Amino acid sequence: MNLSYSDEQNMLREQVLKFCESDYTFDVREKIVESNYGHNPKTWKQFADLGWLAVPFSEENGGFNFGPIELAVIFEEFGKALVAEPYLANVVMSGSVLESSSNELAKETISKIIDGATQVSVAFSEANNGYNFHDIETSVDDGKLNGVKTVVLNAGFANSFLVYARNGDKSVIYLVDANAAGVSVNSFSTVDGQNCGDVTFENVEIGESLIISHNNDASQAINAMLDLANLCICAEAVGGMTASYLKTVQYTKEREQFGQPISNFQVLQHKMVDMFMEAEVSKSLLFKAMLQLDGKDDEASKTISGLKAQIGKSSRLVGQAAVQLHGGMGVSDEMSIGHYLKRFTVIDALFGNRNYHLNNFSNL
Amino acid sequence: MDINFSDADNQFRQEVKDYLENKYPKHVKEKQNNGEQLTKQDMIDYHKSLYEQGWAGYNWPVEYGGTGWSPTQIYIFQEELGYANTPTILPFGLNMVGPVIYTFGNEEQKKRFLPDILEFNTWWCQGYSEPGSGSDLASLKTKAVRDGDHYIVNGSKTWTTLAQNADWIFCLVRTETTQKKQEGISFLLIDMKTEGIEVKPIITIDGDHEVNSVFFTDVKVPAENLIGEEGKGWTYAKFLLAHERFGIAGVPNQKYSLKLLKERTKDFADDDLKKKIADYEIELSALEFTELRTLAALANGGHPGAESSIIKIKGTELQQKLTEMYVEAAGQYILPYEGPEGFNSNNTPASNVSDFSSQAVSRYLNFRKTSIYGGSNEIQKNIIAKAILGV
Repeated sequence: MNLSYSDEQNMLREQVLKFCESDYTFDVREKIVESNYGHNPKTWKQFADLGWLAVPFSEENGGFNFGPIELAVIFEEFGKALVAEPYLANVVMSGSVLESSSNELAKETISKIIDGATQVSVAFSEANNGYNFHDIETSVDDGKLNGVKTVVLNAGFANSFLVYARNGDKSVIYLVDANAAGVSVNSFSTVDGQNCGDVTFENVEIGESLIISHNNDASQAINAMLDLANLCICAEAVGGMTASYLKTVQYTKEREQFGQPISNFQVLQHKMVDMFMEAEVSKSLLFKAMLQLDGKDDEASKTISGLKAQIGKSSRLVGQAAVQLHGGMGVSDEMSIGHYLKRFTVIDALFGNRNYHLNNFSNL
Repeated sequence: MDINFSDADNQFRQEVKDYLENKYPKHVKEKQNNGEQLTKQDMIDYHKSLYEQGWAGYNWPVEYGGTGWSPTQIYIFQEELGYANTPTILPFGLNMVGPVIYTFGNEEQKKRFLPDILEFNTWWCQGYSEPGSGSDLASLKTKAVRDGDHYIVNGSKTWTTLAQNADWIFCLVRTETTQKKQEGISFLLIDMKTEGIEVKPIITIDGDHEVNSVFFTDVKVPAENLIGEEGKGWTYAKFLLAHERFGIAGVPNQKYSLKLLKERTKDFADDDLKKKIADYEIELSALEFTELRTLAALANGGHPGAESSIIKIKGTELQQKLTEMYVEAAGQYILPYEGPEGFNSNNTPASNVSDFSSQAVSRYLNFRKTSIYGGSNEIQKNIIAKAILGV
């Protein structure tokens, strides 16, 4: 057992941290969120140039063959800086599904993602299935795809979709061009300033060549994607919690009331200690989850459910306390602190919230 | 990073399992599994057994007779002890005064005290709290006045765990009245047989006699029993407290109790309790990895510092949560209660869960102490606020 990051992992963290400090200040981020749903093609190009878009892909597919630990490192730093770029939708989610396929089309698509030349979103969730992601109605009959996918992350920017659908009694994942006849996208701003949308497929022509995976492989690919995506957003939340308590400590030292910095008040100190502890224990559980996922441990899925449940509780406490201790400034949009709370709220809602995962953990 | 144990680690785990299976005192195991209270002799027996195995100093350096184990080995050792439902290794000698002596004591003191601590020939207790000095420990008033080759000690200590069994007590005493109250404190070792020491039991809300008051009236203590320098006792006390907080969470024992609780409640149609148990299990796992992270930092040359306060707070909160769930699971059957020793075999309640229920409520009441001792959880928060958050 060894719980220290490697030199390579530390260098990666350093690189992401430096980028965020110099090129991704809160002001810059706010402009990107306001003007273009959190996506700036220039920033995305930088990600590609830095090699970040290649991180989780195998060397055979032109990637760095990094795993969950490196992704967690990146997301922790992204979480601190509230990075809104569609890295999760493209590199993690689509990346995970595509990487699991041996199909030529999948390999070509990966290479375009790595270059920053295309964006791909996984369309799996539906309007009426809640968190039962395998309970799908979207289907292919007579070579035609019909159905509606909802809350498709980054749908507005996607050039193609990985669509989870039924074909007879099989489940299949197809790669469908966003411009194909019969595909329409209705996209929205998310509560935290990113983009998601409903994608409707109406008699879209589907050929065998578009199959990325099928049968057990398809449902397993979705499950593996959910595990990895949950791990990444939990790492992001850990970063966000760390930033939240540090910013709150800083603010209470500067803010004066009753003739002294409010950080002198014990009732606030203990609240900040609670925030710190929640961030730390969450980070500890993140270690367990990423190491198990990295080691392909049988318990990994269960641990990730546990982690997601823990993060749901901890980040709510930290996010709310951070806003509370900032007083009126905490609810003002111009301060970054409330944006962490928004991101935590989104993170909890994604891919199964605390309640869902608590039940899941209990039943596994 | 790597979560897997090496072959050598797995082999070591097997060695620990074999010891627990074959050499650990059987009568202690039996009593533990039946939820019976252990006698003083039982407690001596299992400590001696560990010594004979060469493992009493499981977290001591080799040069003082310890095992010199790696953090991973210590982790495995404690985990297996917990899984086997063994009683806690008493911390007063091995985890408290022992490390203080080998870190701050002189050669003479090391030779004189350390072997007996390892072999459990001496039973130690801790003389820190006083009736007027709880969380504000540095305000302590027990006085030690130098008189030639001796100190004359007057005052009283309280909440002294198992003082009724102890041969020696390590005490924080005031050797000087200074402006900064921390500066006049010294660390003194006192033989409990010395004239002028009186031990009086304090009965806790579970009906148990675990803690005591200890009174000192003109107690003559040889000056050679002073550890380190006069007036530096506070430094040693803080060192000890950081060590004490470490391992205080009892994660392996909690895992064992969790397993029992899950077995006990598996047929309950109570989704609320099931969710509570899941939440607890997740938190316990997070705590376990917090301990592992701290161990890893130690292995890389760090010291247990303020971070150990997180483990103290979270660990004791979880211990208490677990005892609450036991009480919830037992329901109305907790009412018949005749004290921590359980029921007289001639007169037991009709319920077939009476032993479980009685132990559940006993532990629930007893474990209220955990968020109070070792520096109350509120004090731990003050420590974190100051040392880590810098406010």
